[in-house]
Amino acid sequence: MNRFKSAPVFHASAVIALTLLPFISRGVPEGPDFHQAVRSILAKHCVECHGPDEGSRKAGLRLDRREFMTAERRDGIAVVPGEPSSSLVFGRITSKDPDDVMPPPDHGDPLGEEEIDIIHDWIKAGAEFPEHWAFVSPQRSLPPEIGESQAMAPIDRFVEERLVQTGLSLQPSESPAVLLRRLALDLTGLPPDPSHISDFEADHGESNYRRWVEYYLSDPAFGERWATQWLDLARFADTKGFEKDLRRTVWRYRDWVINAFNADMPYDDFTRAQLAGDLLPHGSDQDLLATAFHRNTMTNDEGGTDDEEWRIAAVKDRVDTTFQVWMGLTAGCAKCHSHKYDPISHREYYQLFAFFNQTQDNDRFDESPKRPFPTAGQKIEERTMERSIDHLRDRLEAVRQQNRSAYESWLDGIRQTLKREGFESADAIVEEQVAGVPREIAAAVLAGDIATVAAFFWSTIHEPSAQLHRQIEEKEKKLADLRKHFPMIPVLLDLPEKDHRVTRIHQRGNFLDQGETVGPATPEAFHQFDESWPKNRLGLAEWIVSPRNPLTARVQVNRVWARFFGRGLVETEEDFGTQGVPPSHPRLLDWLAAEFMAHDWSIKWLCREIATSRTYRQSAKADEALLNSDPENRLLSRGPRFRLSGEAIRDSALMVSGLLSREIGGPSVFPHQPDGIWKPVYSQDKWVTSPGDGKWKRGLYTFIRRTSPYPAMLTFDGSSRESCQIRRIRSNTPLQALTTLNDPVYIEAAQALARNTLTHSLNGNGSERIEWIFRRVVSRSPSPEEAAVISELLARRLDYYQTDPDSAVRMATDPLGPLPENINAAEAAAWTNVANVLLNLDEFLNKP
Amino acid sequence: MNLPLEALLNRTRRHFLRDCSIGLAGIAMNQLAGTSGLKAAAMSPRVPRIPARARRVIYLHMAGSPSQLDLFDYKPVLQQYDGKRCPDEFIEGKRFAFIKGVPNLLGSPFSFQRHGQSGGWFSENVPWMARCADDIAMIRTVHTDQFNHAPAQLLMLTGSPQFGAASVGSWATYGLGTETDNLPAFVVLASGGKTPSAGKSLWSSGFLPTVYQGVQCRTEGDPVLYVSNPPGLDRYGRRQTLDALNELNRIRHEQTGDPETLTRMAQYEMAFRMQMAVPEVMDISREPRHILDLYGARPGHVSSMENASDPRTAARPDDAAFANNCLLARRLLENGVRFVQLFDWGWDHHGVSPGEDIRNNLPVKCRQIDRAIYGLLTDLRQRGMLEDTLVVWGGEFGRTPMQQNNRPELDYVGRDHHPFAFTMWMAGGGIRGGQAYGETDELGYFIDRNPVHVRDIQATILHCLGLDPFNFSFPFQGLDNRLIGPDDTARLHPALLS
Repeated sequence: MNRFKSAPVFHASAVIALTLLPFISRGVPEGPDFHQAVRSILAKHCVECHGPDEGSRKAGLRLDRREFMTAERRDGIAVVPGEPSSSLVFGRITSKDPDDVMPPPDHGDPLGEEEIDIIHDWIKAGAEFPEHWAFVSPQRSLPPEIGESQAMAPIDRFVEERLVQTGLSLQPSESPAVLLRRLALDLTGLPPDPSHISDFEADHGESNYRRWVEYYLSDPAFGERWATQWLDLARFADTKGFEKDLRRTVWRYRDWVINAFNADMPYDDFTRAQLAGDLLPHGSDQDLLATAFHRNTMTNDEGGTDDEEWRIAAVKDRVDTTFQVWMGLTAGCAKCHSHKYDPISHREYYQLFAFFNQTQDNDRFDESPKRPFPTAGQKIEERTMERSIDHLRDRLEAVRQQNRSAYESWLDGIRQTLKREGFESADAIVEEQVAGVPREIAAAVLAGDIATVAAFFWSTIHEPSAQLHRQIEEKEKKLADLRKHFPMIPVLLDLPEKDHRVTRIHQRGNFLDQGETVGPATPEAFHQFDESWPKNRLGLAEWIVSPRNPLTARVQVNRVWARFFGRGLVETEEDFGTQGVPPSHPRLLDWLAAEFMAHDWSIKWLCREIATSRTYRQSAKADEALLNSDPENRLLSRGPRFRLSGEAIRDSALMVSGLLSREIGGPSVFPHQPDGIWKPVYSQDKWVTSPGDGKWKRGLYTFIRRTSPYPAMLTFDGSSRESCQIRRIRSNTPLQALTTLNDPVYIEAAQALARNTLTHSLNGNGSERIEWIFRRVVSRSPSPEEAAVISELLARRLDYYQTDPDSAVRMATDPLGPLPENINAAEAAAWTNVANVLLNLDEFLNKP
Repeated sequence: MNLPLEALLNRTRRHFLRDCSIGLAGIAMNQLAGTSGLKAAAMSPRVPRIPARARRVIYLHMAGSPSQLDLFDYKPVLQQYDGKRCPDEFIEGKRFAFIKGVPNLLGSPFSFQRHGQSGGWFSENVPWMARCADDIAMIRTVHTDQFNHAPAQLLMLTGSPQFGAASVGSWATYGLGTETDNLPAFVVLASGGKTPSAGKSLWSSGFLPTVYQGVQCRTEGDPVLYVSNPPGLDRYGRRQTLDALNELNRIRHEQTGDPETLTRMAQYEMAFRMQMAVPEVMDISREPRHILDLYGARPGHVSSMENASDPRTAARPDDAAFANNCLLARRLLENGVRFVQLFDWGWDHHGVSPGEDIRNNLPVKCRQIDRAIYGLLTDLRQRGMLEDTLVVWGGEFGRTPMQQNNRPELDYVGRDHHPFAFTMWMAGGGIRGGQAYGETDELGYFIDRNPVHVRDIQATILHCLGLDPFNFSFPFQGLDNRLIGPDDTARLHPALLS
């Protein structure tokens, strides 16, 4: 019997069935699984009228909790565990009497036969109503005592315990060169410099390994690497989305994320700032900048759109994204109806919506409210200008003090002249000039408007003062110009209380069909919202990072774990709800979550704990026996080996070729992109390749147009950043091969790498160069067999290019530019081919 | 099979797919010696679950949405009331994109005639398409929920007005796999000088694995991005470098034992075959003269609309960009491609600028597609391919029977967006041609009989391909996602099916 809609059948399914049997045979209850089968039936047919919502509850009956179901009522008991025939619920759902049957005919379709069977079997088996593991707070348990426990890190003890049950054990450590490459790629997203490899190969003792861990943790590249993933969650992009998809300035937020990771900002503070930095009691400018997290929603500038419709779409996106990112839950389902599987009702969704419904933004073309966020450089420039203006003002003041008498005698002279010439009031003056001053000034003298008169004297008559005046004016103009160029970043700001919006439930998710009014509140099934918290986004942030929240820490440690190991302890990083996959190592997950909170939510602590474990350092070698007993490495029976992200592949190629720009932060950049990719509707915006080193900055700085993302990133499963993406799948396609083989970015890198190889040892022989380039690219020395393959390719290609000089020049220079004089074109071309091969090695594209 | 086991299997199968581990350990190990091992997994053709009438699809989307009232839905009464105020009952409580106040009705300035044995109505704008009257099932009562371009296009082609869902082409390749190992399974071609409003999301694989994503073949530069070798490296040289690469990967694989390495090697070989096959299939100059003439195709044609600041004003009636794409589509389908999606931009005739004028610009756009579509249907029929190729034509919504009267001083006329009733058509495998399905009221405003929601169109496409639209799903974020949406509101229309 197939009770679930299933994906198409694959040849592979039989194999999967076999490999999964050991997991399945344990702990399967006799009756149907509550979370898999029963909850959705209750949610679909019953809970709308018999749920937590008092307003719509019928007959005072709740079918969303076991204690209410099994309680004695006037008319009997709704669910009698073990006895379907005595259970009122079962009688009602199977009744043939239209007045009696549930749900009532005017309310919904009757339950199907299969559904009735499930309810029957479930009650028969005891009507278990188990609490979902992820909704119970993590327990801070001690790591298991096994073998040589004392010497083992806590992570390893949890992992080894599980391995031993399957007759496996942790593998020995990876070779030093490969291990350091793995470490550098994980912590910084960049391969290690060959000098690091030499150092670690010479001394690969524990303390030197730990020294390198600290080195990469403190490398500014750490922040860039970890920000890259966060930007997928934040749906960060450089355009507004939808039809027009015009540019948006928000890169200062991206730099905020990089800095936060580098400063190891505690994850709870990191959370508060992004969700409610504007509401923090002593919030700084930087906290306000962090709120751009939720301004990364799309803005619809298409003609004829209803701003309110798209404002609401953005607010819903904020609710969904917040729950996805911090709690690993898919709240989105509850937009239209109560969540079928997780405890978020339709009403509760709009109570969460109410937290986010008070911000000023409203799908406006100008994206207001925005605030200026000068860069560090701009701030220094501003401060310098302000100081110099202050200084000039001081001097001006001094000059005035010193020349007080000159002013007074000048004024006196004018007064006397006016008197002499018989002017008594301003009206009497008709001439342009009187007493050597313009008419208005003369009038001001007569009217006793001393401020105007003095201003005129000091700015016009008195030359030293006037000069200072002009200087100040000039500088003030420059200062204003500077400020005009401060990046204006969209931020979250709440409306004043008097303008607060009323939040109503949208029936079936339709914003035009508004129902009952609701206020901000958190879902009942989770920990309580503390009375001391404000009922706004800040309060919600506090609720999210509360130690009582069962999910926040688990979700984050799982996410970090997944970047190291390629798969989370909970494989469905995006779904910790009842439909997600249960954790492979539940106690390890809980231990990490509890310790993470105890260590002040420090990401660097977590990275260090993982990176120094033996589990992480294991050899990735997989023989047939290991592949059979742990095919997907769920048990962590070997080291992690998987394809790098699109950004890391690009960054690695630029790094080993020496082209990579190490400038951190700044406006997004435009690397090589083929013509004709950007054809936005109603906009003349053009892709112009960044001049200088800009095009060689790291991948996370590449400009992202939502309707036309950078093709090479997209090919490697990068996000188009239209909505929050929790994890990227890892595909393996021919289009990826075409990209790294032929994309000018990678050809340019190969050319630079070839030139460096040749100039590195101008008189070197082939094998020295092969050793050098190989170590540079994959961080280890080639085996004799590998060196022979490269040497043979080199010889063949050199033969070819020596007979075809035109091709040689093209291969060696397009697009990098002319060769230095001391490099021969045929040689450079042949080495470019070699470099191109090495930059496509499986080993290069993978974290080893 | 007991329930939890089945559930776990389904779930795991989906994660297997989601991670797209084509070369997943154990499965691929024994099969990857040759490249055919690849097809054993994600991309292998699968037997459809219900009888299939079509094996492949060509979907012609007119981005911007052509006016059904000036092409296919003949409304003599509307012509009679041309220039009169629109009756109140039609506009009360309705939301429009641009129309403000009470607009006037706009009768079609074009003449209509019956065509073919079936006697379907076609306007003078589409005389060539009219010759295919007996192949075409005209659906005059399509309706949608969205009235802005990007959301409406997304709803039409991905089943959701928000970004992030899987496109119909991705669903088809996910369900049926591919029959070619040197071309992408799902190809996208665009003409008209711009890509459609919703951009690449319209051929995104969304929550499905990215192997099912549409690959845009371009008519300028590389037909598939980076398919050409870099300057200075010929095919022979590329082979030498790939031989060395394979050898180095093989040596390393002996050390690591990672089966994914074997998959990657297979993918590089497929890339090498694509480098040959893609330019070949994209080269329409290999077609004989009479076939080129049949479509009105011209090899090497550079459209005046490309890179024009407003392509609509640069549109010429003899522009061959769309015709070339129709011919390319046939070549692709012939070579085993499963789904070809064509977009043609420039059909948003609001009547507020010269490029949006129904009287002058609409006939120009029609000339660009009319002959080409006739050529496509005729060519497919002659080759015996029309029987098992589904052809779909339409925009993302329709256009109002009223003139959009924002600026009466202008000498252009046009219509606003109209989600309540519009025309699409289907032909080929699984479709009963030579009929007009559904009826709109006498102004063409609302539907009188047989409404067909865009979800019904999606259900029909899947049904023709042998994929049961109601049970064809992919679990993601707590929902069994389907192309036709979470509710069972979609329905099949037996009269449309052959």
